[in-house]
Amino acid sequence: MTLVAGLRAASYGIPFQPVAGVHGSELARINHWQTLRDPYGSGRDVYVVPAVHPDIAVIHAAEVDAEGNARVYGSPFWDHPLSRAAKRVLITAEKLVPTDRLREQPELTLVPGFMVEAVAITAQGAWPGSMHPYYDIDYPAVERYMEDADGVLEKHLAEAPETRGGIT
Amino acid sequence: MNIADWTPFSFIVVNLARQIHAGEITFSGVNSTLPMLACLLAKRAYDFPFTYINVAGGVEPQPITIPQSSSDPAIVHGSPAIFANQDFYDLCARGGLDLVYLGCAQIDAEGRTNVSAIGSWENPKVRLPGGGGAAVMLPTAKRVVTWRTDHSTRALVDKLDFVTAAGNMTALVTPLAVFTRDARAGSRFILESYQPKTTIAHITAHTGFQFDTAQAQPAAPMTVRERDALNALDAGEQFSAAVNH
Repeated sequence: MTLVAGLRAASYGIPFQPVAGVHGSELARINHWQTLRDPYGSGRDVYVVPAVHPDIAVIHAAEVDAEGNARVYGSPFWDHPLSRAAKRVLITAEKLVPTDRLREQPELTLVPGFMVEAVAITAQGAWPGSMHPYYDIDYPAVERYMEDADGVLEKHLAEAPETRGGIT
Repeated sequence: MNIADWTPFSFIVVNLARQIHAGEITFSGVNSTLPMLACLLAKRAYDFPFTYINVAGGVEPQPITIPQSSSDPAIVHGSPAIFANQDFYDLCARGGLDLVYLGCAQIDAEGRTNVSAIGSWENPKVRLPGGGGAAVMLPTAKRVVTWRTDHSTRALVDKLDFVTAAGNMTALVTPLAVFTRDARAGSRFILESYQPKTTIAHITAHTGFQFDTAQAQPAAPMTVRERDALNALDAGEQFSAAVNH
């Protein structure tokens, strides 16, 4: 939430963003967050979080066209503020589709192509996470990855779709 | 499952569900499988209406399968709307979430939580995953409820190693006990109810903070509807197995 406030500041083009709550949290101390008194007289002190400017946002989309117009189904989680705050946006997507398909329902396009620097088609690219509506979380793969043992990372990477040649 | 026999799993989930009030907007977040089950149980076992929204963006979902993870898109299935991260955090910030379940690694008698570090922040013994919005949600939600699957002096502490969030915590549910506090008055947790097969002395010995026991009662038994709803949600026993080991 405080991170999102920082992303919002970046997407709004301002140096900081007020955010609700935070009072009583030591996160304010270790992050050196300041409060501002409401200049309009409510008497409330509000925490302000500095802008967070990601260099690059990588957004995994369901469908993308050759121009980078990217469609996401289901919950967008943080895709919207991340893509607006970042200096550069890269799209990975399950499928390459013709632009005419996106024209049919433009409200489903989360990131317009003019914001996008590069696109990669990566089928199963959210693995071992889920990608609505194509596939669910691969819980056994997550559990194998969680094991604290030699070679776990190498095995995980060898199993990943990008290693198996999924990128075009 | 016999109604008279609580397990750690059933005690936690049913007592989390009992925190929900009629007409409320209730939210479960990431890494919150037991609160997710509590909200789904309440939908099945209680007649009053309430709104359930979750971190995957689901609003009044009708899941076909109950996912292992509380942020799995399966918990959005059947929702007539998507209400994603920005929306539910903003709703909480403006005072529109009535009941929020937030996890904790440590909790103190004032209901403050630590999900940041064990040991000092600068030189931690364990670095924890972080608040996930807790510093904003705990003070802005009308009521917050937390849980622990262990009842120990490690988790229920007199002094937190780090204060991640402070605010409107009103209940703590463990396999043995339900503690409640008046957040508006800023009061300490009191023991409200407990697993009938344990004793107040046992709970006291395993709790790191001091608490009042004057109002403590054995927890009311599970109702038939609570039991049946829990059995249906845990049909494969994967959820109970993870807690009752």
